[in-house]
Amino acid sequence: MPKRRKTEEDVEDEDPTPRKTRRSAKDDERPSSPAQTPSSRKSILKNTPTKGGLLRSVEATPSSLRKVLFSTPNDRKDVVEEDNEETPTNTRNDRSARRKSQRTLQKQIAETEDSDEEQDERDEAIAQAILGDDEDEEVEDAMDVDPPSAPDTPSKTGRPRGRPKGKRRERTPSPPPDLPPHELYFFQNRAGANKTSSNTLPSHLLLNHEDYFAQMKDYKDPHEPDMARLKQLHKRSFDQWIFELEEGFNLCLYGYGSKRNLIMDFAKHFYVHSEKPPQVVIVNGYAPGLTIRDVLTTLASVILPKNSKLPAQPNALLDLLKTSISTPVILMIHSLDHPNLRKAQAQSILASLASHPKVSLLASCDTPNFPLLWDISLSSQFNFLYHDTTTFDPYTAEIEVVQDVNALLGRSRRTLGGKDGVGYVLKSLPENARNLFRILVAEQLALAVDGEEGFGIAMDSDAEDEGILGVENEDDIGMEQDTPSRRKKGGGRPPKKKKEPAPKPVHAPAVGVEYRTLYHKAVEEFVCSSEVNFRTLLKEFHDHQMIESRKDALGTERLLVPFRREELEAILEELV
Amino acid sequence: MEYEKCYVFKPEDSRPVKRRKVEPQGLQSSWNLRKEAYQEAWKAQQDRIDERLRTINATTINGILDFLEEAASNATEIRIPTGLILAGPNSALRTSIAAQISSHSDTTRRRSYIQISSSSGSNLKSLLKTIIQKATSRAVEDDEDELDDQPASRKGGPKLLNYDLELLHLHVQERRIEQVVIAIEDPEACDGELLSELIELFSYWQDRIPFVLFFNIATSVEFLQQRLSKTAIKHLDGRVFDAAVSSDEVEQVFDALTTSDTSLWIGSNLSTMILDRQSDYIQGIESLVQAARYAYMSHFYANAVSISLSPSLALKDVTAQYLEALRNLPSFRTFARQLLDNGDPGRLRDLLDRDDKAFEFAQNSVREGKEALAEILEATEVVRSLQITIPNTTASSKSRMYVQAMSGKLAGSPMLRTLLLTLRKAPSDTAINVANALLERKTPRDLIDELSPIVREIEALIKDQDDKAQPLRSEEDVKNSTLRTTVIAQKVELSKQKSALSKQDAAYTTIIRRLSDVLETYFAEKLVNPKDLTLHEIFLYDLKSPFREVFTPRPRHAVERALAAPHDYLDCDCCGPDHGDGDDATLASTQPSTAVLYQLYLESGNMINASDLWQAFQAVVGDSQDEQQVMAQFQRGLAEMRYLGFVKNTRKRVDHVAKVAWRGL
Repeated sequence: MPKRRKTEEDVEDEDPTPRKTRRSAKDDERPSSPAQTPSSRKSILKNTPTKGGLLRSVEATPSSLRKVLFSTPNDRKDVVEEDNEETPTNTRNDRSARRKSQRTLQKQIAETEDSDEEQDERDEAIAQAILGDDEDEEVEDAMDVDPPSAPDTPSKTGRPRGRPKGKRRERTPSPPPDLPPHELYFFQNRAGANKTSSNTLPSHLLLNHEDYFAQMKDYKDPHEPDMARLKQLHKRSFDQWIFELEEGFNLCLYGYGSKRNLIMDFAKHFYVHSEKPPQVVIVNGYAPGLTIRDVLTTLASVILPKNSKLPAQPNALLDLLKTSISTPVILMIHSLDHPNLRKAQAQSILASLASHPKVSLLASCDTPNFPLLWDISLSSQFNFLYHDTTTFDPYTAEIEVVQDVNALLGRSRRTLGGKDGVGYVLKSLPENARNLFRILVAEQLALAVDGEEGFGIAMDSDAEDEGILGVENEDDIGMEQDTPSRRKKGGGRPPKKKKEPAPKPVHAPAVGVEYRTLYHKAVEEFVCSSEVNFRTLLKEFHDHQMIESRKDALGTERLLVPFRREELEAILEELV
Repeated sequence: MEYEKCYVFKPEDSRPVKRRKVEPQGLQSSWNLRKEAYQEAWKAQQDRIDERLRTINATTINGILDFLEEAASNATEIRIPTGLILAGPNSALRTSIAAQISSHSDTTRRRSYIQISSSSGSNLKSLLKTIIQKATSRAVEDDEDELDDQPASRKGGPKLLNYDLELLHLHVQERRIEQVVIAIEDPEACDGELLSELIELFSYWQDRIPFVLFFNIATSVEFLQQRLSKTAIKHLDGRVFDAAVSSDEVEQVFDALTTSDTSLWIGSNLSTMILDRQSDYIQGIESLVQAARYAYMSHFYANAVSISLSPSLALKDVTAQYLEALRNLPSFRTFARQLLDNGDPGRLRDLLDRDDKAFEFAQNSVREGKEALAEILEATEVVRSLQITIPNTTASSKSRMYVQAMSGKLAGSPMLRTLLLTLRKAPSDTAINVANALLERKTPRDLIDELSPIVREIEALIKDQDDKAQPLRSEEDVKNSTLRTTVIAQKVELSKQKSALSKQDAAYTTIIRRLSDVLETYFAEKLVNPKDLTLHEIFLYDLKSPFREVFTPRPRHAVERALAAPHDYLDCDCCGPDHGDGDDATLASTQPSTAVLYQLYLESGNMINASDLWQAFQAVVGDSQDEQQVMAQFQRGLAEMRYLGFVKNTRKRVDHVAKVAWRGL
């Protein structure tokens, strides 16, 4: 490091101003001659007093700056993203607010004339010289990491001092060593430095509930014996935990992996090994819809005599409980940091309970940052002893995997509840309603097929989705805002299939089935006899969000089932 | 049961489980004895601490009680008597002064104590409601045979709204309450306007309800004044009470923890940690107590030889394993080596072969060790008293001194050397002060015995002194020598010259040298390293390990490590770090799916394309498996990542997830 610093300073002395050019020059240079000595590079620098030419050459090929994510697996398997791999380099934007403001200022000048970059650069150089940001450059330099593929010798890193403005910079997956935490954050969080591809995940890949659980049932974790050993390790401290609880401490278990089973084992252990088993109240913090009131009422059922009148306010109930606890109670809370219990009120009530001498609390926390939930007074009330109980157990009870992933990827939750959910609803509806739905789905599918043929747009399954749904206006998306609108905005289609930019506004395929058409079809098939009848049936669907109605350009009402094509087909199959 | 919200736990098989009373094996069999020993040891400690804490702010409380009394005897009816209690920044952690007052108060006057905080109500109505409710409900508890429903409703009159202070008025009249004390716990957190309104309202009722207000101030009175309206301030008649105790409190409690009759001593490393934690974060004094308590717990729980600390232990209580453990202690081995070196193998054989001898030895060593520690403590006190009496030296805090002494570094410390040097230079008036201060301490006996003749000699010297105006000077005092500069052959020479000393000064010099020598030998003798004491493992606890993990956890680090290097936890054969050449960034297909995903996630920027992530994941985990199976793993991993708060969904781009947690921050 000192060596490097020295060389930097040397360079600085020789040539104080045009910092970025050096960098750019060097960057251009690097791939061809990876083993240049600092001295030779200096000579290059001297030879390039006019930066424009070099700069432009860099600027001219922006496509090559594309960043490939996940380069590691890429190295192993070339299957991933062949098209993106030409250069692993990337533009790296500046991060400081000051520089940002500088840039915007300069942009105002240079916006109209793109070729004016030289001017731009000079301005910046001057601004920089004025501001003299020496101190943060040191950090900058520390962050200048060489490409991981070609680890450099220290001598080589003796690059010209100065921050390259808007120049290319290697983006390395691993940060340079010994960065202070805040710099690490900025390193990892560089804006604009990561271009991700616009590939989309084909929806048929994601498993639905059935498939997921079927797969999970078949799956046998190769780490099972190791996990069992890990758990056994934790179990050995059960006696210690009991002692700690007895001594008035509360326990908080953290670490990766579900701690539910461990806690339940502990509950059993505790029950068996204590002379006089105390009341044990278990709270599943992850259970959907859990409120603090549920916890308090369950406690009340243990503490208070039966049929006693409970106050409505949680705080009042808490006061009542705290005054009337006479026998020791152990409260075991799974996932104390679950969003259900994250409200300040819930936490303060639990803390207040935990501080009661007769109440012992054993809680598990899953998220990595859970201590932030508690301010100093809460944490002193909790009086926790923390134990790392990493189990690697899957969070089977805590997480709804399929639903969560769908929500994460912004796919409509309904779509997944969708197909299965529709099945349930239809089962409970009369024959007529089922028939009507079948007609609707069949019509919609037919229309979609027509649309494809009619306009000759080759659609992959995803584009199909757009064919059905994508044309809708932002205004009337209503419930369905997740998927379709996103689709439209996201814009970037994978370039894997030939795709014509369909002139949608004009040739938009009809969305959904026209209301009148459907009515007539229904009457024809003796599904309903009157429009009132027809509307009643539709209302049922509408209530379950199985259909949507919207007006097309001409103002005619259209009905549609808001699902993807394959799902529609599946539904139809079930219905027929 | 796992999908229920909450329930009462019942073991699965209703049939009473055959109580498999697993008798603890080996060393752990003495756990019950140790538990008793722990309880005894800690109870003594806890009592001492409680005693200290009780006296800490006794004066403030008495002052406040007097103030209450005064306010009650000459009620003004114009302004509300107000106590402004400066409680310091960590006031939220202590039982508030007001609560202590209510528990201290005598029963001669009928007072009603109400504590409210910022969470009691967000508007005037709800605040009043809380106040009235608290005031009236407490009384109901007192004597329950009264009307249980609406005791204060006017007979015949319309039912009052539950935020009408008339209710409180009636209640006060009914009970003949002389003072309604309202303590506001966190006035900083309350809305200033709300507080002002409340005060104004109280002042209107002051002629009927005798209010007294207490503000528990964490910041400053000026700050409170700024937040209150002028009219509200006009209605207050305030007096400030200083109740801030923080570092002093720590000192006091720590002192209580390290009295000479402590059974378990906390070593220097652990004490440093505990004290640092105490000063780095504003913790309540309770956290210090808990930390010490946990140290006791760990020692007695995990250290089988700690049984020797039980005062009533007899040979029949101990098992063979215990004695074996005893004989394997490192300090016992050192002792054995010494015995051999000293040519006393017979004694060693006795200790090794005969259980009763070994047991006796252990008991004696523990007693001696504790005595030695008590002497160390005493020596630190002597040092402190020297520091206090010798001018121009700063006295170190007791706790710091303790830490230094326990690390065994005090004896040769520069601080002590300078101290003794200063003493040698000190004139007679200082010396006599120092000596007298030491004599006043009355302990330790042997030191006193040596000191008293010296003191007498000095006194005699002073009495015979010719020039009473000047104290006697020591030879080593710089003032007694002059610097002389001479120029010899163009070189400047500095030479010290002792000014001529009077005979008395010379005599004094010898005495003061003796004094400092006596002290020096005393310190050298007493300030031993506690870790050199025989069987110190029994009565000295100095492990950082459980304390650090248990009180200052690093959950984020734990989760990140589990995911980034699952091998560290699983210790499996398949995903060890030797598969790759790096230390931690080794992706292996055998790793748990979430771990694989997490490592891919670490490589990404703040937006992650789910499709690419999937392909990368698939590539790592391997295509040999069924795609659906891999997908299931992928989904599970992704869902877990979301649950742990590493990713969230984003609307910026299709099929992307946003990164929300960065590693190693």
